[in-house]
Amino acid sequence: MNNEKTTIIAAGAVIGVIASVLVLLGNPVNMGFCIACFIRDTAGALGLHRAAPVQYIRPEIIGIILGSFCMALLNKEFASKGGSAPMTRFVLGFFVMVGCLMFLGCPFRMIVRLAGGDLNAVLGLVGFFGGVLTGVFFLNKGYSLKRTYRMAAWDGYVLPAVQVIFLILLVAAPAFIFFTEPGGGPAAKHAFWLVSLAAGAVVGALAQRTRLCMAGGLRDIVLFKDYKLILGFVAVFGAALVTNVILGLATGTPYVTFGFAGQPVAHVDGVWNLLGMYLVGFAAILLGGCPLRQLVLSGEGNADSQVTYLGLLVGAAFCHNFGLASSGEGPTANGKIGVVIGICVCLAIACLNTFKKGDK
Amino acid sequence: MRTFYATFYSHFGAIRFKRLCDGLGIPASLMPVPRSLSSSCGTCVRFEAESFEEAAASRSEEMEQIAEPSGEGFVTLFRAEHA
Repeated sequence: MNNEKTTIIAAGAVIGVIASVLVLLGNPVNMGFCIACFIRDTAGALGLHRAAPVQYIRPEIIGIILGSFCMALLNKEFASKGGSAPMTRFVLGFFVMVGCLMFLGCPFRMIVRLAGGDLNAVLGLVGFFGGVLTGVFFLNKGYSLKRTYRMAAWDGYVLPAVQVIFLILLVAAPAFIFFTEPGGGPAAKHAFWLVSLAAGAVVGALAQRTRLCMAGGLRDIVLFKDYKLILGFVAVFGAALVTNVILGLATGTPYVTFGFAGQPVAHVDGVWNLLGMYLVGFAAILLGGCPLRQLVLSGEGNADSQVTYLGLLVGAAFCHNFGLASSGEGPTANGKIGVVIGICVCLAIACLNTFKKGDK
Repeated sequence: MRTFYATFYSHFGAIRFKRLCDGLGIPASLMPVPRSLSSSCGTCVRFEAESFEEAAASRSEEMEQIAEPSGEGFVTLFRAEHA
């Protein structure tokens, strides 16, 4: 058990350092890693939305899925499984993205933003914890999306294979793939693709070995007073903060700036930062894991998580096509409506899968 | 007395099994699934009994597997169909 704790802290520290170093190597500030933003950028590159500033096939996402895939194969943990309410998971994935793009970041980026001194993320964290508590309430009352089953052997290979195709499209850069012009927005800022891919693969492999999950970490604290999983994210925060301070001293450019206003790719509307992440926390508990965890499970062959990935991808496209995504200037009216609808949908899904007649 | 770990497809499945063990007088506790047992991160029940069949006889469709610690890892004694 102690070995498990040490491993997860060490993995979190490595991931935190990687997240900060990716910024030095070209990623947007406070966005060394963001599962939601990077899936959103990928959706844009594929032409699923036409928001010019956010179009790039992010190799980090490819790396995470393939890193987890290789690690699972290596340890004989890869198994094609699925059949646990896939469409419900698609809808939950969709609304996770709506919440993330309200806040402008997934739980992983929330920690990265905190390590960069962005205090708006504190409100995000409070909201996220509130969402986790709501989800845990339903878990204790009987919430379940029912069991998974072993699927056709090739089913679990589909998303890893798609990621290989995405990688080929990134490197080949055919005309039908969209790339943000230099200086045209956050997606124009990225490390060299091979570095991003390797960084993603390391994170994916480590997260597969340690089951790192922000939602799961908070859930385990509430359910069992078990701090193992959350220690991974505490280590991510600590390592990213220390690395940011060192990078600031070494380069003369501040990597940590405490405050609310003027934070990179962030807005200062506290209520909607909180509600956006409330939606993410709630939906993540109903799904059984945060967006990072969904990618890792996808790599292990879990078809339900692969469907959740599709929900995230479609959600990202929808958010930019219909003006739900926030910007540095703040949330949009459509985004606020989307978050409220998302919370209502999560409540409906939670109730429908908890309070079933004759199921107790 | 031997120690067993039962994993489930849902958290509530684990709660239900724990209640069942309590009813049967089997010492049991809820805990996160150990990493060396599974790559999934759900809830498991650790229980102590002479044999796992005693508790497994009342297993529900929510139960995924029952395993027993062995050295650094676990030996699976029961696994649900199509798991």
